[in-house]
Amino acid sequence: MTVLRDPAHRVSRRAITLWSLEALFGLALLVGGAALVAAWASGSGRAWLPAWVSQHIWWLPVAVAVVELPFVVIEPLWRYAVHRWELSGDVVYARSGWFSRQWVFVPVSRIQTVDNEQGWFERLLGLATLEIRTASYAGSSSIRGLDAGVAARLAQDLAHRAHQLRDDAT
Amino acid sequence: MSEPADPAGPAARPEGIGPSRLSPLVLLIDPVRMLPSLFLPLVGVLFVGGFSPSSFLWALLGVIGSVGYSALRWVTSTYQVTGYHLEITRSLIRRSSRAVPLDRIRGVDVTTPPLHRLFGLAVVRVDTGANAGDKQEGELDGVPLAEAEHLRELLLRRSRTVRRQTGHPTPAPAAPEALPPAEPEVPGTRVAPAVPEGLTPAGPATPGTRVAPAKPEGVAPVGTEAPGTWVVPAEPAAPGTPAEPGGLAAAGPAVPVAGVGPPAHEDLDVRVPARWLVYGPLSGAFLFAPFALLGGAIGLAFQWGGQFGLDESAAITLGEWLWHRPVLLVVAGVALLAAMPVAGVIMYAVFNWDFRLHRHGPSLVAERGLVTRRSVALEHGRIRGYEFAEGILERRVNVGRLWALVTGLGDSRTRGQLLPDTPRDFALRVAAQAIGPLDAALRPHPPAARRRRLFRAVAPAVAVAAAALLLGWAWIALLALVAAALGVPLGLDRYRSLGHTYDGARLSVRSGSLPRAQAVVERRAVVGWTVRQTWFQRRARVLTVIAGVGAGSGGYAAIDTGEEQGVCFAAEVTPEWITPFLHRENQPVAGAEDRLVAGREDRPAARREDLLVPEREDLPVPGQEGRPVPGGEDLSVPGQEGRPVPERKDRPAAGREDRPVPGQEECSG
Repeated sequence: MTVLRDPAHRVSRRAITLWSLEALFGLALLVGGAALVAAWASGSGRAWLPAWVSQHIWWLPVAVAVVELPFVVIEPLWRYAVHRWELSGDVVYARSGWFSRQWVFVPVSRIQTVDNEQGWFERLLGLATLEIRTASYAGSSSIRGLDAGVAARLAQDLAHRAHQLRDDAT
Repeated sequence: MSEPADPAGPAARPEGIGPSRLSPLVLLIDPVRMLPSLFLPLVGVLFVGGFSPSSFLWALLGVIGSVGYSALRWVTSTYQVTGYHLEITRSLIRRSSRAVPLDRIRGVDVTTPPLHRLFGLAVVRVDTGANAGDKQEGELDGVPLAEAEHLRELLLRRSRTVRRQTGHPTPAPAAPEALPPAEPEVPGTRVAPAVPEGLTPAGPATPGTRVAPAKPEGVAPVGTEAPGTWVVPAEPAAPGTPAEPGGLAAAGPAVPVAGVGPPAHEDLDVRVPARWLVYGPLSGAFLFAPFALLGGAIGLAFQWGGQFGLDESAAITLGEWLWHRPVLLVVAGVALLAAMPVAGVIMYAVFNWDFRLHRHGPSLVAERGLVTRRSVALEHGRIRGYEFAEGILERRVNVGRLWALVTGLGDSRTRGQLLPDTPRDFALRVAAQAIGPLDAALRPHPPAARRRRLFRAVAPAVAVAAAALLLGWAWIALLALVAAALGVPLGLDRYRSLGHTYDGARLSVRSGSLPRAQAVVERRAVVGWTVRQTWFQRRARVLTVIAGVGAGSGGYAAIDTGEEQGVCFAAEVTPEWITPFLHRENQPVAGAEDRLVAGREDRPAARREDLLVPEREDLPVPGQEGRPVPGGEDLSVPGQEGRPVPERKDRPAAGREDRPVPGQEECSG
């Protein structure tokens, strides 16, 4: 979009790995689920299924894998291009998403809590997610894929600054 | 009401209420209320005992036991208001003492169910906004009515005082606004009467008045101000001429004379005349009452039938008997349908009887109900705006419903109700007077939004029709085509409903068709922005801007605005949060074309000074500004469009005094 400029900082490059891992994990679940369905459907006594379906049922997990596989590659790269963040003028400005995008503006003075979280994959990769919460979901933001050190420092800065600016007019 | 809420020394005399009990009259109410639940067991005991003397004895013991239980509970429950808490102690079975911190109190409801009313009692419920599921929190069942009113005032007042004392983060202007005009009794001292929402005290600077430190938002004083900050020596300003109830036609807010007489202090006392109760069913409320009643009756018949020898086989026989007489069934169905509006009106009238909205001290109080009289006090300092909703039927006759958006009040749709179905002009005048007017017409969204609304209303039905045709289901295809045809006016109407605006103090967004809602939110209530753009929206060059608000539903969306229009809307409301991130913030003078020049990547954060370049009139998006939405009566108060906007001191502070009257789109650059 031409109206808003890009936030200054990219997230950590390792976030690509994180998103790839997550996408692979999701893919494995999907394909596994499809395989289960296929196994169930190809079992005996599914007379209500048309013959051509039960004969070719094992194409289902394959089709799922083929359709999903490109996204496993595309989504992390696309996300890395989109996900950006910036803290300036006491406003957190962050962009996220891939197919659909989202820009969030959170003034530090309205921040209520700042959570620094690490999931299982994130801990492996030394990444962290920053959850910035205000009194409203629409004024809250979560920045994923930050380097753990960066996230910790940012969380501390934000909490400190938010305490100074605290303006709970809401 | 007698204690002066002296803002200068609130700690001096913390008022409170010593340990008190509920009225002993609850002893009369409790057993009666227990009757339904006692009835079956008692009857059962009598039946089982074959109505022998001993069975009567047991039944009597049961009654005595329950009365005794009530009495014990009454004796062992007390409540008191101490310095910082409302404490409710129950020590019957296990000692439980619940302390509700006064600064967490968001509202106090006083309800009088019929039995209570008979004895002059009331139920007081303290709303802390916290765990809504825990109904028991702060409920005092059976307080004498006068005491209940006193308690409500006391709690709300103490709550404010405590918040100010502790400097607890809470809504700021609660303090000034909240104090009722008649309250301060310190001679010659008056709490700045007229601080309209979020404005800096505009009165002559006086001792104790503090200019808020330059906060980035420019929102001035906050709750952490020391007590006394707001004291402005001045004779008590006569509150605006009291408007006669129901006749609010000329009730536009008076032009503020340096810090005196904002709309917030005009008297407000309106009643909804009984004849407007007929609008109720148009909102769909209680339309299904006949079915609910029938269901309840059937349930009861099953429950009680068992006691009197009727069982399921009888019910099945009855059902079969009915099934063979379809005429009866049809008649019953028609009767139920015909009863819908009638029952709807009756139920609606019972709940909304004699609806009264008035200002009482620091609160807006809404009272309603015929059998159970309910009174909800919404603290003024926590109200951040309002929402006006109108369904498709209601729009036919120009009526709608009004809610207040209150911080921390989760279910604003039930508790924040300001008006039931009333004519729209009336409702808007009341809103303008009770909370504040919206002084700008809604701006329409670009044509791409219309295409998207139409597509979304029509496409699903068309897809169904196509699929049905392929499968050869002609009837379904026909139905789907009819639905698709109906989608056209629906989509067009949904587009006409879209709109957003900002008048310098409040922003407003509207959307929806079958239910249409317009929210009007104060600028200071905005806590952030979310801009969303799906891939499809991106192709249509539109986006959705959501104002994060710590009240009401939490977020209010302007759907499918133009890319520039949407971002500039956010920038117009809170320039200091958005302009640093616009592409062209460093270009002092730029034409509309320059906006499209791509900015440099990774530019360092804009320096603050850059943001305050002199104002200039931006080129509006062609043919879009200032023009009201096509379909659109919006919420701007009738007859006020051209009125100069009163001074808005909450506009971004430094260097912005020369800002032109807001309302034109300005993506300040």
